[in-house]
Amino acid sequence: MSAKSRWANEDPETEAIIAQQKREKEEKRRAKAEKQRQLEARKAQAQQDADSQPPNGEPGPPKKRRRLSNDPDAASDHAAVAKIEQEQRQQPTLLRFPVGEWGPCRHVDNFEKLNHIEEGSYGWVSRAKDISTGEIVALKKLKLENSPDGFPVTGLREIQTLMEARHQNVVYLREVVMGNKMDDVFLVMDFHEHDLKALLDEMREPFLPSEIKTVLLQVVGGLEFLHSQWIIHRDLKTSNLLMNNRGEIKIADFGMARYYGDPPPKMTQLVVTLWYRSPELLLGADKYGTEIDMWSIGCVFGELLTKEPLLQGKNEVDQVSKIFALTGPPNSQTWPGFRLLPNAKSLRLPPTSTISSAGNPPLLPRSRFPYLTNAGLSLMSALLALNPASRPTARQCLDHQYFKEDPRPKPREMFPTFPSKAGMEKRRRHQTPEAPKRGQEAPELDFAGVFGGAPGGDTGEVGAGFSLRLG
Amino acid sequence: MAPNGLKHLSNALATPDQLSNSSSSIDGVPSDLETSIRCAGAQLTQAAGILLHLSQDIIARAVVIFTRFWLGADGGSLRIYSVKDVSAAALYLTAKLSFQPTSPRSVLNVYTLLLSRDASPLWFVRPGGSPEAPPSPETYILSEGGYQSARLVLLRTETVILRTLAFDTHVALPHAIALTYLRTLGVTKPAVAQRVIQYLNASLLSPQLLYVTHQPNALAVAAIYLSAREEGVKLVDCEWWEVFDVDREELGFLVVGMKSTEGFMRAEASQWNDKSIPMVVDEVEAEIERRRMLEEGE
Repeated sequence: MSAKSRWANEDPETEAIIAQQKREKEEKRRAKAEKQRQLEARKAQAQQDADSQPPNGEPGPPKKRRRLSNDPDAASDHAAVAKIEQEQRQQPTLLRFPVGEWGPCRHVDNFEKLNHIEEGSYGWVSRAKDISTGEIVALKKLKLENSPDGFPVTGLREIQTLMEARHQNVVYLREVVMGNKMDDVFLVMDFHEHDLKALLDEMREPFLPSEIKTVLLQVVGGLEFLHSQWIIHRDLKTSNLLMNNRGEIKIADFGMARYYGDPPPKMTQLVVTLWYRSPELLLGADKYGTEIDMWSIGCVFGELLTKEPLLQGKNEVDQVSKIFALTGPPNSQTWPGFRLLPNAKSLRLPPTSTISSAGNPPLLPRSRFPYLTNAGLSLMSALLALNPASRPTARQCLDHQYFKEDPRPKPREMFPTFPSKAGMEKRRRHQTPEAPKRGQEAPELDFAGVFGGAPGGDTGEVGAGFSLRLG
Repeated sequence: MAPNGLKHLSNALATPDQLSNSSSSIDGVPSDLETSIRCAGAQLTQAAGILLHLSQDIIARAVVIFTRFWLGADGGSLRIYSVKDVSAAALYLTAKLSFQPTSPRSVLNVYTLLLSRDASPLWFVRPGGSPEAPPSPETYILSEGGYQSARLVLLRTETVILRTLAFDTHVALPHAIALTYLRTLGVTKPAVAQRVIQYLNASLLSPQLLYVTHQPNALAVAAIYLSAREEGVKLVDCEWWEVFDVDREELGFLVVGMKSTEGFMRAEASQWNDKSIPMVVDEVEAEIERRRMLEEGE
């Protein structure tokens, strides 16, 4: 060992080896070319043979025989020929499918609970540590009330859809673990520091336009994937959008998600938290599709702009009137067929609904979003189109001009970080209403008061679930 | 292509360890008995699905979940769980997740009929052909008390299945894939498509457990290969299976496996002849005891 580096020490040897390898390679190449020629000649021969054979619909055996043939000219280097053949055969590389396995659930004792994060309508979430790896995870306990039908289908769907929805913008379900009792079931998911709702509550100023685009692009990107996998989320809202300190957004809480089909199966209309619920659901449609998620995206978009939920109805009737106050009432041009929806019968539209719509869907009033560009307003108006058919798909949304114009979406790495509430301390309950409970009866809604103010609660003095009747 | 998109087309497969060590074999159930019971259980599931008017994709998924349940040392043991309960719960669970959910009562009514010693249409439950007198309704109608207790068993077994499979209920089926491949190959003869579906459905009962050892694309290709041959339809003259990502060796294995299912079923029918195949734990115990006595007697 001298002053020479230990790498230099090996140089002569390595060089020799390299030279040797080069020579060998050269020889191999020459041999290969030779074999190639022979092979082609034999192939042509075989082709002739095959052509002379009667077609028997059985492409297998003759080729196999040929491959194993031991022609005198190839006998010397049979192995080499086989190798070449193999290489040629491998040209069309076969796709290997991802092979999963199955095994029993692990026990929840493999995790150490650290702190409680929140209680949603479908379970309790806490921060926990995987004892074997030390990784921090989110542990969600499924609420399994004594269901008459066995394991609740909502829980099954949540697990099923999360397992299949592997996407960088969908929260990652690591595994499902069980507790001591038969109905203790926990979902183990990646932990994320924030949810957008809590973050918006904490922020002094709303996100910058470039940041909003980054957030929205990720949400819609994740949603586009879900829809492409025939999964409909049915409970998109800011508190279900998680964010980590690397600026990554993850769609979470699949308690309402399910597979849909074409034609859509009959699905319950009691989905989506009230403030994010689309007008067709409020009017009682039982045939609906991915458009309801796009409406929710529009509401989230609005919330990102102003930090405040866009449409904070006190109940279904109030929600409808808030929606119409923003978008203007529907008419048969902007939303053909809305009259046929079950709850639209009681809807009395103001006689002043003059058809003023320029463009379909009509633009929302600019005054509500003073800092939004024209492209942004057109995207928002499209997402919040009353007619579900007028809303863009997630794919169309991603291609929208709004995301292409300046300011460009901020790179994720440049995203500001925030102190995490979920990571440190108990968090207060959100003010957002909860997602509807499964199994509830869809309420018979009387929308007579949407524009009149007679029953219902659009006057501001009336609390949820309690209405003051004056005369 | 992102691996994401492939999940729809692929399945979790059994590991070699899971295939060689089942929970039942560890518990001392002879392997031929285990195979017979598992196969009969798959038939039971199929029959129940038909009586419940479930579509074949639901039934096929249920059979695959049923099959997975018994595999591996961590799987279910025939000395602990009754085949009939696992079959019913697998079907109920699969239907629940589909667009055609069904009720516990419907499922249990159908299983009561299928397991009736006097009225079942299944040869392995009621061997010996049709009875002379029509069976009395009490033998195949579920009483209210019977329903209440059976429902508890059904729902508990459902949870057991879910825990055993770690809640992974994903099953990709080869049927639709096969039809797509047939179109790609330009085969238009309906008889081929029909035969393909028949092979794929019959393979659900295969003792080689083809659905948990091979990916759906390979099952589809093998069924097409066999069906085209048998229907005398000539396919393209090249190694077309490679286009569908199946190599010759796998194809060969599957072709043999699919062809052998019929022979296996015939052998089963003649082997069990006038005996019924155990469908509950007690019957499995009795059968094991009977075999032990036979051995000692010799």
